[in-house]
Amino acid sequence: MAQAIIKVENLSKTFISKERKKFLRPKKRTIEALKDVDLTIYDGEIFGLLGPNGAGKTTLIKCLTTLLIPSGGAAWVNGFDLLKEENMVRASLGCMLMGERGLYWKLTGRENLDYFGALYHVPKEKRVERITYLKELLKMGEFIDRTVETYSSGQKMIMAFAKSLINNAPILFLDEPTVTMDVHAARDLRRIVKQLNKEGHTIVYTTHQMYEAEELCDRVAIIDKGEIIALGTPTELKKSLNVKDAIELEGAIPKGVVQIIKEMPGVIEAAIKEEKRGTTTLGIMCENSRIILPKLMEVLLENEVQIEYIKPMDATLEDVFIVKTGRALSVDTAELAKEKDRGAGGLD
Amino acid sequence: MAGPIAGLGYYEKSARTSFGVFSSVLKARFRIVSRYKGALLMELFMPIVFAALPILLGVSIASGGVDVGQNWKDTTGTADFKAYMLIGSSTFMVVMLMTWLVGFWLRREMVSGTLESVWVSPAKKYLIIGGVTGYALIRAFVAFVLSFVLGSFVFGINLFQGNMLMAAMFILVGLLPLWGISFMFGALILRIKEADSIINLLQWVLSFFMGVFFPITVLPGFLRLIAQSFPPTWMTNGVRAALLDVSFFFETWYLDLAMILVFAAVFPLMGYGIFIATERRMKKTQGMGMY
Ligand SMILES: Nc1ncnc2c1ncn2[C@@H]1O[C@H](COP(=O)(O)OP(=O)(O)OP(=O)(O)O)[C@@H](O)[C@H]1O
Ligand SMILES: [Mg+2]
Repeated sequence: MAQAIIKVENLSKTFISKERKKFLRPKKRTIEALKDVDLTIYDGEIFGLLGPNGAGKTTLIKCLTTLLIPSGGAAWVNGFDLLKEENMVRASLGCMLMGERGLYWKLTGRENLDYFGALYHVPKEKRVERITYLKELLKMGEFIDRTVETYSSGQKMIMAFAKSLINNAPILFLDEPTVTMDVHAARDLRRIVKQLNKEGHTIVYTTHQMYEAEELCDRVAIIDKGEIIALGTPTELKKSLNVKDAIELEGAIPKGVVQIIKEMPGVIEAAIKEEKRGTTTLGIMCENSRIILPKLMEVLLENEVQIEYIKPMDATLEDVFIVKTGRALSVDTAELAKEKDRGAGGLD
Repeated sequence: MAGPIAGLGYYEKSARTSFGVFSSVLKARFRIVSRYKGALLMELFMPIVFAALPILLGVSIASGGVDVGQNWKDTTGTADFKAYMLIGSSTFMVVMLMTWLVGFWLRREMVSGTLESVWVSPAKKYLIIGGVTGYALIRAFVAFVLSFVLGSFVFGINLFQGNMLMAAMFILVGLLPLWGISFMFGALILRIKEADSIINLLQWVLSFFMGVFFPITVLPGFLRLIAQSFPPTWMTNGVRAALLDVSFFFETWYLDLAMILVFAAVFPLMGYGIFIATERRMKKTQGMGMY
């Protein structure tokens, strides 16, 4: 097996934030963004961090890139101690953290790349050579010599991606790199990520889209409320479910009916994947869809639920998340925490 | 220290690439400011406009029959109140540029979102801030010379008087403590982010205490003491004393210069210390990127 290139032990991070409400004195609230995370990432793998909004993905990445000092625990990156050898940790990384916001808008793309290359102690001639290579690799057109303020948001994201590659670092941290890209650009980026990985780069990739993690990653950690709740290859994770079948159901489904479906024999878990203008998409994990389907129809008819469609599906990483948490990935962890605070019960 | 497991890519630490950090930051700053049209022009004319008010006031009083020059000479030692004002406002501008140097830079990087990108790089902070400082120094120097020369021309002031070399020395040494103060304000910006109102206020306080338009000897004792604990007060007075018939605070130029040297030794160390401590504190709490 390859060497452990990133090792995380008991890493935790607590934020203290002030809640401001009109004229009242701000109330202090602690947020445990990471709770004793243990993790090993191996040299040469594409490692996915999958989790809903507010799960703690960015916080973990910011700790590992030295932008935040963890509240507890330890970590090693490329053999360097995160807390004691900060600069060597930084020298080992290429980062795409804030998407397009990490660029100087008054500089051209080329000037940005050269500037950040210099900050990574890349010698001038290597920078020139690297920029030419990246222009080719990422199919950057004439826009490379325009100031970034004139870019489309897709072009900005590509430039931000190029920036993370300027120092040819052994480890790449990409925090939701495709989030504002269109489908084609996102697919191109994932293809290049794979290519870079073949060339030997280790890649840590966060996303809240399960298909991205499934398509791209060798191993995936599913993270929720600051904890890793599942870890393995996408296939392993799906196998671990004991879910043979999944059913997707769309229609006007009242909350009460969702609860009834959850409690049906043969149903492992059910959760709302999406809610839009009165239409709900429900994911149902079950042992055998053929046995469940007639019973499910009965329940739906009894409750006079209007159905748009019902279809059996293969289990995905999203379903892994649903089974582990009783919620769907698209549901915001932060929102949920708030609902809990209010005692509203949330969705689970 | 163990070596890297998977190499370090193109990272090559050497004196040359370290200088590359410094020069790239310097270059980028000039490029960026040159792409904001009008910004340089503003900075050039600001001190002249700033000096114009008291000069015109003085001229209009003088034309009323009062001998402003003589009165001015009685309190300051020089009758050339125009030059006195122009030196005051030109050094004030240099002081402003230097004092807010680190703070303004941090604020800009915060708002543009590039601060984290810079902070996540392995470049030493002093090389990056060195580049930003180099830029500010060049700008401050050029602005000082241009505004002084232009102002002299506009207000008919004799450019070549007094000991210009000594004046230059006071400015150069006087910049060092300002640089230190700049780190303290940088730390402040890291903590409180939005500082425009504080900057505005401090700007007036500073211009009052460093005696931009009047000799601080007219201040009552305790206020004068506060004024004299500000390094820029010594710098302004030193420049005036070198060029005009104004006296040094300690009567001799080398004692005044020694005083500034003491400031120059203390403030940068203290400022950098405060800055680094604040940076760590931010990373322990909410991080650098918020704004
Ligand atoms: N600087 C901060 N101060 C206070 N709370 C913070 C801060 N940064 C993050 N948090 C909180 O920590 C939790 C984890 O946030 P984080 O940004 O790591 O989530 P994420 O998994 O990256 O989510 P997303 O998919 O939305 O990017 C959230 O509840 C968030 O509100
Ligand atoms: Mg995030």
